[in-house]
Amino acid sequence: MSTIELFSIAWQGILSNRLRSGLTVLGIIIGIASVITLLGIGQGAKMEAEKQVQALGVNLIYIRPGAANTASISQGQGTAPTLTYEDALAIKQNCPAVENVAAQYTIGFQVQHGEQNTITNVTATEPSYTDIRNFYPVSGRFFNQNDMKEGSRVCVIGDTVALNLFGSDNPIKKQILIRGELFEIIGVMEHKGVTQSLDMDDQIFIPLTTGYATLIGLNAVTGRSVRSILVQCKKDEDMQAQFQITNLLRLRHNIHSPDFDDFTLRTQMDIMQTAQSITGVFSLLLGATAGISLLVGGIGIMNIMLVSVTERTKEIGIRKAIGAKYSQILSQFVIEAVLMSLTGGVAGILLGIFGSTSISQFAKWTTVVTPESIILSFLVSLAIGLFFGIYPARKAAKLDPIVALHME
Amino acid sequence: MNLIELKNIWRIYKQGPETVNALRELSLQIKQGEYVAIMGASGSGKSTLMNVIGCLDKASAGTYLLEGQNITQRTDDELATIRNKTIGFVFQQFNLLASMTALQNVLLPLVYAGMEKEKRLLSAKSALKEVGLEERMQHLPSELSGGQQQRVAIARAIVNKPRILLADEPTGALDSNTAKDIMGIFNRLVDDGITVILVTHDAETASHAKRIIKLKDGKMLDDLML
Repeated sequence: MSTIELFSIAWQGILSNRLRSGLTVLGIIIGIASVITLLGIGQGAKMEAEKQVQALGVNLIYIRPGAANTASISQGQGTAPTLTYEDALAIKQNCPAVENVAAQYTIGFQVQHGEQNTITNVTATEPSYTDIRNFYPVSGRFFNQNDMKEGSRVCVIGDTVALNLFGSDNPIKKQILIRGELFEIIGVMEHKGVTQSLDMDDQIFIPLTTGYATLIGLNAVTGRSVRSILVQCKKDEDMQAQFQITNLLRLRHNIHSPDFDDFTLRTQMDIMQTAQSITGVFSLLLGATAGISLLVGGIGIMNIMLVSVTERTKEIGIRKAIGAKYSQILSQFVIEAVLMSLTGGVAGILLGIFGSTSISQFAKWTTVVTPESIILSFLVSLAIGLFFGIYPARKAAKLDPIVALHME
Repeated sequence: MNLIELKNIWRIYKQGPETVNALRELSLQIKQGEYVAIMGASGSGKSTLMNVIGCLDKASAGTYLLEGQNITQRTDDELATIRNKTIGFVFQQFNLLASMTALQNVLLPLVYAGMEKEKRLLSAKSALKEVGLEERMQHLPSELSGGQQQRVAIARAIVNKPRILLADEPTGALDSNTAKDIMGIFNRLVDDGITVILVTHDAETASHAKRIIKLKDGKMLDDLML
């Protein structure tokens, strides 16, 4: 008896009770479709996170000061004034593995232009910022070394700020007030979006030296303190750069034991790993949810196959009386289960692809349906059919023909 | 040589704590081409005897020679092959598969026999022609009368050219005119050389046979050649 023959017998079995077979298949469709969709969301979130980390720039190290203590209460990482502009200059001069350095001081201020008025982050930094962040003006220019030297009152605004203050007007050469201090706009930054919970477009950039002279002022103890130093390392030299920076800063801050470090280094790798571990947990949770619905679908198949075997006891008896062997009855029912779960699997894959496409369209989430998740879903539905089909099929194949024939 | 030879056959069931002796030391020979009716009241063991002869059931003790071969110790799959090739069954309730057309029902034994598709179709059509139903072969059993359904069942029983046809109360669910038609088909099959064994409690049906075996309490009461 050929395989095609076995399939056609099984197919007739499925068609002989269309509604029931349809409902069984529906269980698998929903299971597989949720696997495809939820894995798509998980994959999308992972890709989005990686893209955002990439967008921050490459080979980056962030140096932040430690926490300031006010009456023994920690004010949080990055609040101590221990890191200075001089530290940044020293790193640039003394660390051979370092390509580029940009110190920055970010602080929120009210900004005005005519009647328009907004609160935004003002980032005082160095011209090297654009190369390190891979973030450039779309019109006008960024400030340069000359502006730094002169302490020019110039600024470059992010595109959200431009929209808030100027609407569709060209902001270049216009004057704005930052906490009452007059600045001339010399450029508008390109659109970058939100990275690491910071809206890169809702910022105004001013030269660091101008910042100290006008908005930030000097710290009584350390002078030109900074909130963070961005370091771009030479290619494949991040380890050396970390080592050199750590040693240099300990030397400059008179620290003898690592326990007393008043600064922290974070690499892009650290951030990437954090993002990946978060999205990994996210994917796992989504996958587990989908897996449960698949399991329920599989139990549905077993349930229906058991009902089907009981209901078709007479049919099995007739088939045995006219000469069907154990293996022939067994394969009929296993193939029935597998055909149902595979039909559900294929339909579920299509529905899942449709579902994740709709989600990215309507909810604006990035979703990615990978070939792996399609192949996985297909194999899983095959496995479910086999696993949950074998027990009812064995029951059918083992029926005593006499008992089966006398069943009504 | 006897086609069927039963020697001291016992069939013992366990029904809860009780044991039922459905067949007690029964011996019987049937030759090729015979037309036999097995009669007896219900509980006499006639259905059990048919099941044993038809290889649907195995004897608890004794020897069964079919075509000279001892088949007492055969496996279930070997018995399935014997049922497929050597024996055809006709039941009181027809036992057709409701979701299949007359033709598909008749094809089924050939599918299990592994016959090629085209040969299969020829055999099935000729079997349906033999019972006079070639016109209605695309109909479902539910679209056929009782007599027509029984003809389909007979076509299914003879499609693989068996040597033995076992019929269990074949006219029990039919009116007397239709029953006569069906018995006519059996007579023709006997003329063609098939060994027909009827199981019935109806004397009218049994009267068509040329040999009547009467059973009581699992033992042979009478063996009449007509």
